[in-house]
Amino acid sequence: MASTQLAPTAPVAVPGTLVPPPVRRDRMTRNLARMGWGFASPALIVIGAFTIFPILFSIFVSFENVNVTGAGFSFQGLTAGNYSTVLGAGLWHHALWFTTVYTVVTVVVEVALGTVFALVLERMTQGRGMMMALLLIPWSLITVVSAELWSYIYNASYGVLSGVFHNILGAPFSATVALMFADVWKTTPFVTIIVLAGLVMIPQELLEASEVDGANGWKTFWRVTLPLLRPTIGIAVLFRVLQAFGLFDLPYVLTTGGPGTSTESLAMLGYNTMFTNLDFGPGAAVATTTAAIVLIMSLVFLKAFKAQVGKELPSA
Amino acid sequence: MRNRTRTGAARYFNLVNLGALLIALFVIIPMYWLFASAFKTTAGVGASPPQYFPNPVSTTNFQQAFGQYTFGRYILNSLVVAACSTALVLSLGTLAGYALGRLPVRGKYPVMVSLLMISVFPQIAVIAPLYLIMRDLGWLNSYQALIFPYTAFNLPFAIWILRNYFLGISMSMEESARVDGAGALRTLWSVIIPQVSPGIFTAGVFTFTACWTEFLMALSFNQQNNMRTIPVGIATFGSQFTVPYGTLFAASVVAVVPIAILVLVFRKAVVSGLTSGAVKG
Repeated sequence: MASTQLAPTAPVAVPGTLVPPPVRRDRMTRNLARMGWGFASPALIVIGAFTIFPILFSIFVSFENVNVTGAGFSFQGLTAGNYSTVLGAGLWHHALWFTTVYTVVTVVVEVALGTVFALVLERMTQGRGMMMALLLIPWSLITVVSAELWSYIYNASYGVLSGVFHNILGAPFSATVALMFADVWKTTPFVTIIVLAGLVMIPQELLEASEVDGANGWKTFWRVTLPLLRPTIGIAVLFRVLQAFGLFDLPYVLTTGGPGTSTESLAMLGYNTMFTNLDFGPGAAVATTTAAIVLIMSLVFLKAFKAQVGKELPSA
Repeated sequence: MRNRTRTGAARYFNLVNLGALLIALFVIIPMYWLFASAFKTTAGVGASPPQYFPNPVSTTNFQQAFGQYTFGRYILNSLVVAACSTALVLSLGTLAGYALGRLPVRGKYPVMVSLLMISVFPQIAVIAPLYLIMRDLGWLNSYQALIFPYTAFNLPFAIWILRNYFLGISMSMEESARVDGAGALRTLWSVIIPQVSPGIFTAGVFTFTACWTEFLMALSFNQQNNMRTIPVGIATFGSQFTVPYGTLFAASVVAVVPIAILVLVFRKAVVSGLTSGAVKG
């Protein structure tokens, strides 16, 4: 699930080898195919009912005048007003800017730091298993818990960092950095595990050959290790970008979007519009535009990814 | 010559182990702060300069969280929702993963790619419509309000994982069982599923962890105090001006430790799930 921790967030498998469809389909094949759809349909129905249908419904709601009364909600007719209300507002521009900057900075830092961590772990001769176990703990931590923990650490009057940085959550810039640091702390271990898996797949001979050719460790890293790690790092970036763009839990608890609305992400803006202001139409418009941006990004990634492993995937 | 004479502790002092030590401290120090603060008294939590060790060590926070406040109920709610969702994901996901991995179903590729797209979709996109649907069904503040969306959002990843395992096992046992006259479901249950049990563990641990930590949907659909899950209970505890961190961290420790143990026990499964994409790519 795309739970924003990590997500657990949770990561996604990527296409492996797909069995090519048989050319001729005899009766047995047809029966097996029918059985296959029978087996797959309960899962596909649940997924359709609780993800695809709501997404379509969300697009509908985003074009509706939604009227909220004590008795409930009613739809008052189609309008494009929700989008013009939302997209014209400074709040949306700021949330888009904040979410983009946050995503770019955290992903770059986490991937760079995660790669360094993975290089260290790969060279460990003893205790690597223990380190892996340790790295899984922040990954499994509830994001809300980590947000409360950092809010205690950053607390202006008795936080353990209050002696060094006074009221770190009190100003927009330092609050943003504080959020990013909490994210880096929780998510770098996840990136480390992924990069390490790619690292151990690199044939030792290639590294040795490079050293025989007279390259030093630094040169070998840039010329051999890093290019071979590119697909792995690509996957890590994909997971993280899509997850970070849906950012909600951490700022909702740690900064409540503040000070003011300076750390309000797109998902928070959508949520607050819907549940605090009870503006379901404009809220759905925010949510739909966020989803559209994520969809476009994942299509771009998918295309780039397909180009990389094109031979594995039939173009069907 | 010199290297060979290095013994005991000296052998471990090198750059790699120093780096590893720094990484370990980076992870451990904030975690330590969570645990230490849970065992401080109210005065200890608010002390300035901070208490680096709880003094005195106190379990008052735990008594408060589970006596005076209803964190026990939140944990029960999380447990019910996560367990039911995981059971549903595993049963539906195994059937679907088998069908999409082993059976000659047409249109597999578009289905698998759609699943991939769904699994990265931001949850905020479905909150408004799901809220309205749940409201119409009278499902707000109920277990099913979370179980069904959690199942739907975790199934795509589970199907991908399980399908990869189904692809990896040998076809011959399945065929001989079929020749022996075993029915399709029976073959699946007694011949095929035992071979993919690592995949089932992986999908199970991932789903359970994701449900245990999920916040946005739980916050939106189950706002009533007695139906809150543990993340919602923790996030909404206290007021805008005072946060009783000690009580909060005591509840957090109880919420976090079981899942950490689960992940550590099944760490091979978790790592294989996390890296399945990376290694295949």
